[in-house]
Amino acid sequence: MSEMVRRFVRQKFGSGGLVAALAVLALLEVLGLVSRGADRGLGMANWAILVVAAGSVSRDVSSGALQMILSRPIRRTEYLFGRYFGILAAYALFLVVTWLLTLLVAAVMPAGTRPAAADLSAGTLAVATGSAFLSGALQASILLFFSTFLPGIADLLGLLLVYLVLNLPQMASAPWLRNAAERARENMLPAVEWNEVLRGHGVLGAATGRWVFALTVYLAMAAVIFSRRELPYGQE
Amino acid sequence: MIAVRGVSKSYGRFGRRVQALTGVDLAVARGETLGLIGPNGAGKTTLLTCLLGFLRPDAGSIAVDGLAPDDLAVRARTGYLPERLGFDRELPGRAFLKHHWRLAGGDPALADAETERAADRVGLDREALKRPLRGYSRGMLQRIGLAQALLRDPDLLFLDEPASGTDPRGVALVRERILEAKARGATIVLNSHQLPEVERVCDRIVFIDQGRLTKSETLKGASATRRRGVIRVDAGRLVEAAAALSTEGLAADAEPEGWLRFPLASDDEMVRAIRAIVLSGVAVYEARVSAELEELFEKNA
Repeated sequence: MSEMVRRFVRQKFGSGGLVAALAVLALLEVLGLVSRGADRGLGMANWAILVVAAGSVSRDVSSGALQMILSRPIRRTEYLFGRYFGILAAYALFLVVTWLLTLLVAAVMPAGTRPAAADLSAGTLAVATGSAFLSGALQASILLFFSTFLPGIADLLGLLLVYLVLNLPQMASAPWLRNAAERARENMLPAVEWNEVLRGHGVLGAATGRWVFALTVYLAMAAVIFSRRELPYGQE
Repeated sequence: MIAVRGVSKSYGRFGRRVQALTGVDLAVARGETLGLIGPNGAGKTTLLTCLLGFLRPDAGSIAVDGLAPDDLAVRARTGYLPERLGFDRELPGRAFLKHHWRLAGGDPALADAETERAADRVGLDREALKRPLRGYSRGMLQRIGLAQALLRDPDLLFLDEPASGTDPRGVALVRERILEAKARGATIVLNSHQLPEVERVCDRIVFIDQGRLTKSETLKGASATRRRGVIRVDAGRLVEAAAALSTEGLAADAEPEGWLRFPLASDDEMVRAIRAIVLSGVAVYEARVSAELEELFEKNA
């Protein structure tokens, strides 16, 4: 598993294009944080998880790298969860760098140039970073699930579709449809107030439970599909 | 060792299915080197992919020493070289080999020494190992791909066009490594269009066409089923040489470039053929016993 995680991180940070994209997102994040504070969360992190996680399995399938890896004594689930933890590790690295950069910028900014209301204490930043990480973990599990059977970066479309399907009916006029959509959204895309949870409020609440359940279901479905998937290579 | 029974495989959906393999029966003995030959689209790569356990047959079964081909115990003894190495392009060659060494269960403490040894065996120098794979030529990719397939000396080797894109030295290196693996008792399945190389290393070939196994020929040993005598003489004296062969009861196909090809039952017959031509006063420029796979290919394709 550790070999898979290591490879994922090396893949992501070995690519100049991806590093540049993440650097831009980190800088935008830092600018946002110093201007409005960390108590309103991290905005660019939502994009960073997409950059890090998109096509995590499908690209290995199409390049033939996966077939080479699986010709070794490696379980498919070992590979799959290695990719997932690799995504989390790469994302965590992005968040930690962003966190450190923000602290650095906040420290060197001349007094009076920062809005007085912007809370950039290390504790608030750590909570915001942790919240972004946990939200990203769920998105990563959905992307991983789609990446086990969709080609290229179509997993991004899959994620978009999930958001659309679960959010659009809430604009419907029929109450039963709105209620059903709300129930589905609560369970499939649970919104957790991580800022509160990380401060120790509602750790064992219903929302946290739904988040754990949804994450487990997406990863389990990814494992089932991936274990059964055929891996053609160089078909004539 | 490898037992393939009645394997069929088709692709596609919604009525547009392509039958890639139909009722393939095949047995590969332990230590045997088997060549898969056939035209493009015949189903060779599909068969190889089924043997590796990446595709599941629609019908029939595949077993390696009684185990499923994707069993981890089988994988631990497997080396695989795909036709095109599509690994992480930014990864330096050394890191690529070390990664596969660790995946293969190799001792991490030996990774450096073993990757260098593997690179040496395929003629890749230390400088090349420092470069990312994206800077490798096709031939270099094949070499490093072969090096990774041979890590930990697997006793099951699946090689898909191993010498494709390599220079003559690369072709020779690939051949040497295959023969080396063969000498230590590895079972090898080789898919290649380089018929002279197939003939040099394989004990047996199977011909696949339109998903069916149409012919099997033993190339080596006393039970060889396909032997041809091939003699080259001065093109201007081809008729005389052919006449000399006919006096020995050997009916040869003569080609304008000076080649004579004839079915051969034994080495003794080859000696008689050469002697007859030489005694007729025609110089023999070249003589060999061959399976003439190109001829077989032409007849079956």
